[in-house]
Amino acid sequence: MQMVKNIFITFIVFWFALLLFMPKQELYFTLEKELAKQDIEINEQSINEGLFSLNLIQPVIYVKGIKIATIEKINIFTLILNTNINVKSLILDDSLKSFAPEKIDVANISYSLFSPFKVNIEAKGSFGFIEGRANLNERSLRLDFNETTKELDSIRSNLQKDEKGWYYETSF
Amino acid sequence: MKHLFRSKLFKNFFSILILLVLVKFLWFVVEMIWLSPTGIGHAEEVGNKSLYYRVKLTPNEAPAPVKKQPTKIAGSIKDIRLLAIYNSEDTTVITVEYKQKSKVLARGDEINGFILEGAGNNFATFSKDTKTYRIDLIKSKRSSSSRSSIKSTSKVSPLSSKKSIKVKGEVTDAGDHKIVDRSLLDHYANNMDDIYKNIGIKEIKESGKIKGFSITFVRRGSPFAKLGIKRGDMIKSINGKEINSYNAAFETYKNIQNIENLTMVIQRGKEEMELEYEIN
Repeated sequence: MQMVKNIFITFIVFWFALLLFMPKQELYFTLEKELAKQDIEINEQSINEGLFSLNLIQPVIYVKGIKIATIEKINIFTLILNTNINVKSLILDDSLKSFAPEKIDVANISYSLFSPFKVNIEAKGSFGFIEGRANLNERSLRLDFNETTKELDSIRSNLQKDEKGWYYETSF
Repeated sequence: MKHLFRSKLFKNFFSILILLVLVKFLWFVVEMIWLSPTGIGHAEEVGNKSLYYRVKLTPNEAPAPVKKQPTKIAGSIKDIRLLAIYNSEDTTVITVEYKQKSKVLARGDEINGFILEGAGNNFATFSKDTKTYRIDLIKSKRSSSSRSSIKSTSKVSPLSSKKSIKVKGEVTDAGDHKIVDRSLLDHYANNMDDIYKNIGIKEIKESGKIKGFSITFVRRGSPFAKLGIKRGDMIKSINGKEINSYNAAFETYKNIQNIENLTMVIQRGKEEMELEYEIN
């Protein structure tokens, strides 16, 4: 019993230390470099490193050099097995408003190692509530619009409809 | 004798400390070997604005007289006789007889004021002003009766019947430049997907850097076809601003509604050409 207890404590301490000493900022920079290879760049005003999380303050996202969105704050929280990315107040560039909702108040992207090919997405904005998932294995993305708002009119040409309502589907 | 330290507790504490140091060291090694110490800062392109905007010097912003080109009413479609057609997926070449001389025309070429828009198996379509005209191949023995003016482009031929959206506004040829209706420009400025239904654009890279953007196709009968650009053309600059990045192209697109004149430098084959447009 004492042995099990010791192993458990060691594991917990190891886990805690792993999270605590994780070079979060450097990991983020590495992710930034990988994204840059895909022509996606994130330019943030500042980075705050927390004990278990990383905050990006006022990041601006560029795709192929084009400014796509301005975000108030991105919070990346990880327990290794489970990772959450919280996006606060995303404003899409004016010229892209015919493609996607112009403003997203809050978006939450979660990933768990227990289902390694699945990424869950939730977002809330003037367009209503979006629930979606990305399948990394099938390289597909589906976003369900749970409410029908006036805001959707401008992007409806990009949406499809089934018995559940309007949804956006694409592959990557 | 009373122990100052409980040896077991001390041992546990020491083990945890070693574990923490080990983890820290592990991350340090990972950081040194694989992780990047600095991020990538996006450098905003300086001087995104066009080098120049051509301005109208006419007082009171009076609209430029719409050159409806009475000069071009010269010819009639009946003067043109279609002798031969070569039609493939990307090339349309026809031979016509005009004023007792035969002439070879490619898509976009003009004869007697009529612009070749496309061709089918035994006919060719021309456009002039807003109308589209069809001429049948002379060998089909329907020549005299089959020449007809077709009121809307969508009815012209199977080739152009694919046109899905009828956009308000037109492109008028004014000789040395073309006049583009602002409503047409506004439509495409607000509906980016409509652009890609009518024209294909791809980047041209040279040693990893974008050199320009090349036209991969122009839909027949679309306003883009009337702009005088052709498949294979490479857009080099717009109003003096080099189009050598997606950002430069996008910035121009974003500001397109604010301009009154547009000069586009393209490279067609080895030749560099300047296309002039007036937005009215």
